[in-house]
Amino acid sequence: MADSTKTLKRSSTERGGSQDTKRPRTDDNGVDAMAAKANPYLAHLNQEDSDGPASHSFKSPLDRMERHNTTADQALKAEDSDTNPWTGRPHSQQYYRILKTRRDLPVSKQRQEFLDMYHSAQILVFVGETGSGKTTQIPQYVLYDELPHLTGKLIACTQPRRVAAMSVAQRVADELDVTLGEEVGYSIRFENRTGPKTLLKYMTDGQLLREAMHDHDMSRYGCIILDEAHERTLATDILMALLKQIAERRKDLKIIVMSATLDAQKFQTYFNNAPLLAVPGRTHPVEIFYTPEPERDYVEAAVRTVLQIHASEPEGDILLFLTGEEEIEDACRRISLEVDEMIRESDAGPMAVYPLYGTLPPHQQQRIFDKAPEPFRKGGRPGRKCIVATNIAETSLTIDGIVYVVDPGFSKQKIYNPRTRVESLLVSPISKASAQQRAGRAGRTRPGKCFRLYTESAFKKELIEQTYPEILRSNLANTVLELKKLGVEDLVHFDLMDPPAPETMMRALEELNYLACLDDDGELTTLGSLASEFPLDPALAVMLISSPEFYCSNEMLSITSLLSVPQIWVRPNNARKRADEMKQQFAHPDGDHLTLLNAYHAFKAAEQRGEDLKKWCHEHFLSYRHLSSADNVRAQLKRIMETHGIELVSTPFQNKEYYVNIRRALLAGFFMQVAMRESANSKVYKTVKDDQLVMIHPSTVLTAAYDWVVYNEFVLTTKQYVRTVTNIRPEWLLEIAPHYYDLDTFEKGEIKSALTRITEKVRRRQAMKGGK
Amino acid sequence: MTSRRDANDEDDGYDDIPLHHQRPFGTGLHKKPIAFVSASSLSTVTQPPSSAASSQPAGASVADLYLSMVLPDDAAAAASAPRSASAPPSTAPAADPTSTTIPSEPTPSAATATTTSVPSQPCPVCSLPLPPSHDPAALAAHNTSLAHQLCLPYSPPPSALDRTRMGLTYLSAHGWDPDARRGLGAEEQGIQFPLKPRVREERLGLGAPAPARRPGEKGKDGEEASKKGRLLDAKKVRKMAAEDRKRREELREELFGDGKLEKYLGVGRAAQSAPPPGPRAAERRRGLGT
Repeated sequence: MADSTKTLKRSSTERGGSQDTKRPRTDDNGVDAMAAKANPYLAHLNQEDSDGPASHSFKSPLDRMERHNTTADQALKAEDSDTNPWTGRPHSQQYYRILKTRRDLPVSKQRQEFLDMYHSAQILVFVGETGSGKTTQIPQYVLYDELPHLTGKLIACTQPRRVAAMSVAQRVADELDVTLGEEVGYSIRFENRTGPKTLLKYMTDGQLLREAMHDHDMSRYGCIILDEAHERTLATDILMALLKQIAERRKDLKIIVMSATLDAQKFQTYFNNAPLLAVPGRTHPVEIFYTPEPERDYVEAAVRTVLQIHASEPEGDILLFLTGEEEIEDACRRISLEVDEMIRESDAGPMAVYPLYGTLPPHQQQRIFDKAPEPFRKGGRPGRKCIVATNIAETSLTIDGIVYVVDPGFSKQKIYNPRTRVESLLVSPISKASAQQRAGRAGRTRPGKCFRLYTESAFKKELIEQTYPEILRSNLANTVLELKKLGVEDLVHFDLMDPPAPETMMRALEELNYLACLDDDGELTTLGSLASEFPLDPALAVMLISSPEFYCSNEMLSITSLLSVPQIWVRPNNARKRADEMKQQFAHPDGDHLTLLNAYHAFKAAEQRGEDLKKWCHEHFLSYRHLSSADNVRAQLKRIMETHGIELVSTPFQNKEYYVNIRRALLAGFFMQVAMRESANSKVYKTVKDDQLVMIHPSTVLTAAYDWVVYNEFVLTTKQYVRTVTNIRPEWLLEIAPHYYDLDTFEKGEIKSALTRITEKVRRRQAMKGGK
Repeated sequence: MTSRRDANDEDDGYDDIPLHHQRPFGTGLHKKPIAFVSASSLSTVTQPPSSAASSQPAGASVADLYLSMVLPDDAAAAASAPRSASAPPSTAPAADPTSTTIPSEPTPSAATATTTSVPSQPCPVCSLPLPPSHDPAALAAHNTSLAHQLCLPYSPPPSALDRTRMGLTYLSAHGWDPDARRGLGAEEQGIQFPLKPRVREERLGLGAPAPARRPGEKGKDGEEASKKGRLLDAKKVRKMAAEDRKRREELREELFGDGKLEKYLGVGRAAQSAPPPGPRAAERRRGLGT
């Protein structure tokens, strides 16, 4: 990282130098040269010297601009000019087309106002509703003011979601008429598309946090923009607290906090009454409807509402909010079926139904922007599209044409209980703020309607005002490790906007202590420092770091990568049985982790044979997308392991201990996620120390009921499940994690007595061996 | 000073019950005894209570108020009379400037009689005069008196967190007090307790009533449970029916057994002549299910 900063600085000085040497020459050539420059027929003559990196030979409109003292007019002129001030190449036709639409965006009218405020304050809070253009425009406004090519200090703009960082970076690269990855780039976990020329960088908030671990002052950056701050993701919250501190030390660092909702006063007060600039969104009134009675089944009610709208409301697209993939696919199917019937029976118009959720492949996500279908015949009833989405569509996505919103009042929310150490995704009521945001989606193009599938009194009584920020709902083990690495000493008085509950913090500290990442005084250990280098959960990182001791670091690397991507198993509704049969092919009797590994090995073998991988995956009911991203993750993690000298070793596949080693290595990180079977015939397991009663998730390949298992995650629905489970032997626990399985500190119970019996057995066996 | 104790004897009933039953209250007191009793730094400690006295009634007045509510007027007068006779505390108003808020109606005459014997040192907490410090028993009695207890600031029970936890050690090392009921953060303004997860019945609409969940649960969630329930029904049904019959018989026995009701209703004579009770009794009998 330090290297790239250096090269960047060097290149900018080179550029400066070349300008000085070349300018007098153009003067010598006099008027002719100037004319030649302006003459479009002679444009090819300029081509040569605008190609290289030192290309600022032309009179750049930026030359007249003074950093932190520019005006909107100057910037507009620079944007209007024939040559691209950032690359020196002439602007393309597409550029001007986009420029025209950019000038129509609501933020565009307040460019001067923004600059004035930006000049006068170090920290600025910016509020603009979705669709105001803030995410794409504000960073560019800053770019024309910061002039980062002069200082070598980049502009960073953070996004909570990877997809957003990628797509917005692409869009802005188009708008600036530059190649993505050069002047404008992005950086997300496991993928970095920036180069030495990069001036503006979109990145996930988590990524900026990781960078800060090695650069406590964020000295690479001249301006940091935190976008979508209203979402209050864990990383954004931590960044805000860090930047608040850094701003004290680095007076030259500018910070912009951007939010889509009007509760920005909270941000203002937090940042010592920073000035606030608000851009009104383009919104029309939205009429809101409630149900008279609570609904028994909100999915059914939602489907009915959509059909009702289709039957009786004038033209306009529908946006339905549901909670998860399964529910959305189910609703899509039901709506399509019903609409077909409506078309047959009552001559209804056509309707295209599109799902939208995070794990959907990008090209399918793109389909939501398709136009609504045409009516069947001229003058027939209008067609419309219906988008069934999770709360991604709430703020971060702008879909034009939506006139009707159906809101059942739920979303899936993560919640962490430090007392049982269970982090789960639960369907929970949304907040009032969320409900208003959802309703607002209906008024983007013309006055709209929002149908809420609950009563008005439920809205008033059951919904909380604001969604709880993620930091209050998460396991903080990873965060605490990062903060420690960031040099935060006092976690108690760390100035967070919403500090987490003390118990949550205590749990995180203890987990890290058990993983030997923190010592008993809460100081970072060598292992902890190494673990923080991996963009992984501490347990996974520790497992990976200690895997060479079990002679299987190659395998653990694969398993870690597979656990870091979404489920690789595909189980379509219409072919569940066949999918399960296919999965059985890869099944390992000892557990799901090993089955994952088998599937990955089969995938790599198919790759070696040169098969069509997409086809192969389809046939075997595996997700090509997730397997290849696991492959990518693996390569990245491998690089990190190599730079830190962690050996990559394997035993021969024929070795009797091959799988045993892997199972033991799992415990090195996951010894805190172990469950013991309650009794001989029971299907119920009890988690160690937390005493939660759980069942093994039905997706498991385990057929025999083993007494002891290690699990990857805890799933809380109406029942409690553990998912991705592997059989282990209790002796290993005592051997690999003796500090956690210290019987003196164990609470009395079945697990303690079972472990005591095992200790006895081990002792006796050793005594016998010793005797012989 | 034994006289002070005598005064309290009367209130013993009131003294003991709250102390015994409100465990946290007692525990809190046990934790910080010194802070309240230390009379050495009188000047500094009296300030807060005196300001508190203006907003909330001081010890004696609370007791009086309570008495006036519980006992009727004449009884109150009767009760206060012996109390004043034996008790120096109510004499305090005359000597103590801070206790002017205390209604001085009870026994002004007795007050003058006993002022001289009381070294008027007001308790910093309840602003009642303290017994002399050389008498620990009296001091203890004062400290456990209702008036004194009511004036103590409420001290919440100590946190239930396990004190041996490494996480707690770290937090305390950085100045977080688990018993102070504070959160984390720059001003320790954070939430004190983690958010609670609430599992919802699948697909149940927002605001739908909670009891409606039970039948749903039976349908989807616990199919085995409902099956089991049905099986048990088959076994138990006879037993339950028998029990039911027995209960009804007992009830009938109770109602009709001694024949008083029949006599009262006038069965026999009234069976023919008085129609109104007749059908009702028959109905009742049928209802009680023979």
